[in-house]
Amino acid sequence: MRSQIYAWNSQSQSGGTQRWTNANTGNSVSIFIGGFGNNITKPAETTATQFVVIEDVAVSPTAFGTSGSFGTYRGLTSSGASAATANGVYGNRAYIQVRINTTDYFLDPDNVGNDGIPGAASPYPRSTSFQPCFNLYPDVYVLPGQVFDALVTCYQNGAFASAATLEGNQLSAFMKYTLYDGPDALIANKLLEMGISINPGNVDWYKRTLIQSQSAPAMA
Amino acid sequence: MSMRSQVYEWSNLAPTGQTSSLRRTVDAVPVAVPTNREYDVFIGGIGNNITKPAETTATQFIVIEDIACSAYLGGALQVRINTTDYFQNPDVTDQAGVPGLASPYPRGSSNVAGADALTSYTQLLKSFDLYPDVYVLPGQVFQILYSLQTANNTGVATTVVAAFVKYTLYDGPDALIANKLLELGVTINPNNVDWYKRTLIEQQQRSRVAATATNGGSA
Repeated sequence: MRSQIYAWNSQSQSGGTQRWTNANTGNSVSIFIGGFGNNITKPAETTATQFVVIEDVAVSPTAFGTSGSFGTYRGLTSSGASAATANGVYGNRAYIQVRINTTDYFLDPDNVGNDGIPGAASPYPRSTSFQPCFNLYPDVYVLPGQVFDALVTCYQNGAFASAATLEGNQLSAFMKYTLYDGPDALIANKLLEMGISINPGNVDWYKRTLIQSQSAPAMA
Repeated sequence: MSMRSQVYEWSNLAPTGQTSSLRRTVDAVPVAVPTNREYDVFIGGIGNNITKPAETTATQFIVIEDIACSAYLGGALQVRINTTDYFQNPDVTDQAGVPGLASPYPRGSSNVAGADALTSYTQLLKSFDLYPDVYVLPGQVFQILYSLQTANNTGVATTVVAAFVKYTLYDGPDALIANKLLELGVTINPNNVDWYKRTLIEQQQRSRVAATATNGGSA
């Protein structure tokens, strides 16, 4: 049972990937295997003996202002190349969607998949200027054998820094999850059947009840 | 995935020459929002909209847990279920709803749009918590209505305004359980839905044991 994170930096080229550019604006890109920023070697998936619980997702923040204002606002770069083209959006106007196999998790009220959680609601990194108003609860479960992905979409051109280190308003994303492996994954499946939330506390509780039920006859 | 955390974000950004668009578009520009009028963030005809009014099907149950909007220009959000406004004045007259100053979006944003200097802005925190939550029962239509008191368009520049809704969608069996909890007077949240499932499972197990005992030990 291990707490895990994955941080994505759009300007990293580790693994031979490309840096994110304006050409990708409007496209949803996987933070794991999208070909931009730091990537991993294969799609994120659980084996038959693994269970993943995604507990938080976050992406670069966005701030809203007035068109014609060109410059920075709390560290975020305004859109456009000059005041004439600035539309009042600061930052990337980025969103992050969770996908399990081929199903998008976040939907609009008309049941059509949307872009996901806005960076303005779940910012990464967090600061006093950019605080979350979204909490991923209930958590997202990735059952054994499923493929999962996090897709970033941004709608603002020219509003991200190009430095390779994570700073300022560079487009970046973050995922926090807990990986249950081996016997703990079996217990996680059992808890799912029982309608009990899967978290480390409840997995430990189930283990204790197993131990108590085994030791009770011996004590008697 | 029968119990899912969902969000909807609206802003008055639309492609150049249009007032609204389905879904979001790249490099959209802010459009003017007339003052002292309520606009549905889903199908109001301004900014990003969806294809049809927000409603629950016969097998869905929605619990609205948070609403927030831009804190400047006197922005406010109202929730409407079918034709009934949720927030009312003490004399039962209409009001604009929750002001952005009480529930700012984004959290930590300023009460002045585009205040650049570090010394001239406030980092607002929420002073409003939507509790108890708002329930949207199966078959009901719901609207989130945004209004502002001060014009966001000076003729030279237009200010971007935004709104945010966080809700949990219960679908299928979980929606049935949500209805049952409502009948019982129990708050509808993921924990209580799980609790009800557990009690159902325990009841089934007890009746199975009782049936086995009645049959003389054979199932």
